[in-house]
Amino acid sequence: MDDETIINLYWQRDEKAISVTKEKYGKFCYTIAYRILHNHEDAEECENDTYLDAWNSIPPQKPSVLSAFLGTITRRKSIDKWRKKNADKRGGGEYEISIYELENSIPDEKTFDEQLEVEELAKIISLFLRGLSPIERNVFVRRYWYFDSIKEICERYDFGQSKVKTMLLRTRQKLISHLEKEGFLE
Amino acid sequence: MKTDKLQDAIGMIDEDLIADADNILIKQKKRRNKWVIPVAAVLALVIALTPFLRNTKIPDNPFVIKSYAINEAKYPQMTQYPLTELGYKEWAEDQKVKRQYFGAGENLDEFFKKTYSQILSDSGKENKLYSPVNMYMALAMLAEITDGESRQQILNLMGVENIETLRKQANSIWNANYNNDGAVTSVLANSLWLNENITFNSETLKTLAENYFASSYQGEMGSSQFNEALQKWLNQQTGNLLKDQILDIELDPQTVMSIATTIYYQAKWNAEFKNSLNTQGVFKSPLGDILCEFMNQTETYGVYYWGEKFSAVGKEIEMSGRMWFVLPDENVSIDELLNDSEALKFMNADGDWNNQKQLKVNLSIPKFDVCSDSDLKEDFEDLGVKDCFDSTVADFSPLTVDFNDPIYLSKVQHGVRVAIDEEGVTAAAYTVLPMAGAARPPEDEIDFVVDRPFIFVITGEDGLPLFAGVINQP
Repeated sequence: MDDETIINLYWQRDEKAISVTKEKYGKFCYTIAYRILHNHEDAEECENDTYLDAWNSIPPQKPSVLSAFLGTITRRKSIDKWRKKNADKRGGGEYEISIYELENSIPDEKTFDEQLEVEELAKIISLFLRGLSPIERNVFVRRYWYFDSIKEICERYDFGQSKVKTMLLRTRQKLISHLEKEGFLE
Repeated sequence: MKTDKLQDAIGMIDEDLIADADNILIKQKKRRNKWVIPVAAVLALVIALTPFLRNTKIPDNPFVIKSYAINEAKYPQMTQYPLTELGYKEWAEDQKVKRQYFGAGENLDEFFKKTYSQILSDSGKENKLYSPVNMYMALAMLAEITDGESRQQILNLMGVENIETLRKQANSIWNANYNNDGAVTSVLANSLWLNENITFNSETLKTLAENYFASSYQGEMGSSQFNEALQKWLNQQTGNLLKDQILDIELDPQTVMSIATTIYYQAKWNAEFKNSLNTQGVFKSPLGDILCEFMNQTETYGVYYWGEKFSAVGKEIEMSGRMWFVLPDENVSIDELLNDSEALKFMNADGDWNNQKQLKVNLSIPKFDVCSDSDLKEDFEDLGVKDCFDSTVADFSPLTVDFNDPIYLSKVQHGVRVAIDEEGVTAAAYTVLPMAGAARPPEDEIDFVVDRPFIFVITGEDGLPLFAGVINQP
């Protein structure tokens, strides 16, 4: 079923919307959740929460890219869950590794401007990403949005590990330096 | 954790960026068979005998080859871009192979900057176009057939240490820019046109064939049949886009060899212009006001770039690079911009630029189809490639084994045609890539109206400049 029809089902308040969403995007959402949580039950729970959230937000929303819309919900819910569960312990997984990559890119003495809203920062990052070449942009999004492992990215683009690591390192450095220059990291 | 905010923000990036990294099928909806950016260029280097040898009888070569083609380059096979999910995997594999060559031209910034400045300056009231990648390929091949100072001058211009490095780099650039999958056509075609009365160094020809995918043809220089064969080859390689300019390319009997390199590129915009939005407007040409058709489009999530003396936008080309429109500020001339280090840096940056802002861009670009034909001999000399043109010092020793009379490079003919339009796009057949919803409307808006002379650069998928030009008369 195409996305437009699925979205129309939500708008018509037809509960079939949830089953067709699960059928088409269940695996997609589960994968995102599992990469973050590294636990089957938790990932399944976040996947199901995603459908509920989608049901409650469409309408009034009308997503233009349904996969990205659903994935954004799953990603947010999974990270929330991870933070609650992992306040003081580490469970492993790609998500955790990617956090350290980002953490290590930020100089010790620097912190984000407290007044800066997440939405504003998201806009700045989107703009930054649009300035990259398509391949750099996609590799960055695969790593820090989808939490693909380096190996998965290598397979996807047929790059060597060192090439992907270097590309990610450079992009992180560019991003941080961009944020510093703009005054968002002080 | 200090990255929480950063992670949350990455989670909220624009939806089209998320989809683009994952879902190729969204793009498949947009497939169509018409193109909006047909571009072609030809660069012919003619290596000739010195004029005073005009009446000298060239010894008969016992190994005259009757058929013109002695070796035809075999291009890599490419899986066609799939119209359905079926075949996607095979296509993706091919694309992956290509990507391994990306980045080979990273060290060519200085070369491109120098040539932009040299070749595009002094356009006066005319349009000037050139293909940086095409010129690179021709020069690399010229370096292969020269030696000593003649070769060194070329290597110096290109900023490459030695011929082996150049050969490897050129091969990677060729592969990175070769695409013939039905979605994007980009072919750098190279050929050698050889005088049938001269014996050439077979090792050199082999190197050119293997590393530069150069086809070789041998025949009677100056004969109408051989000229016709050359023109036919050039027309084939450039999709007949340069038919008028190619008619002028003829090799006289004194020609020892000619290297002809072409680039042919067809692709379409990532987001099309709608015919119904076109308007008639005035372009302030140096010749006076010209009435022309403007294509208009609003990019909700556009990016606006600027420098001390210019502003710019880059329009994405589907599954390829971008076309950059660089507009000098009102009081700045094109030539001033072509000698401005910041502007030249921008033309080579492919968007890697600090001064940029995401906002709603109301883009207005004149529709154009322009040609340019020039002899780059003087430009080459000004760029330091001098000895090749001087028969008293030119060293073409790798080219021939038994022909020691002075030979020199007599002509560097470069023809380019660039056309952009919106044709073939209908709303019913062409679904626009859905952008992020109205949740995050842009705060700012800018009108980017290209209604006065401007510079453009078309970059390929790996960011290298394929074409560049100055448009004074669209």
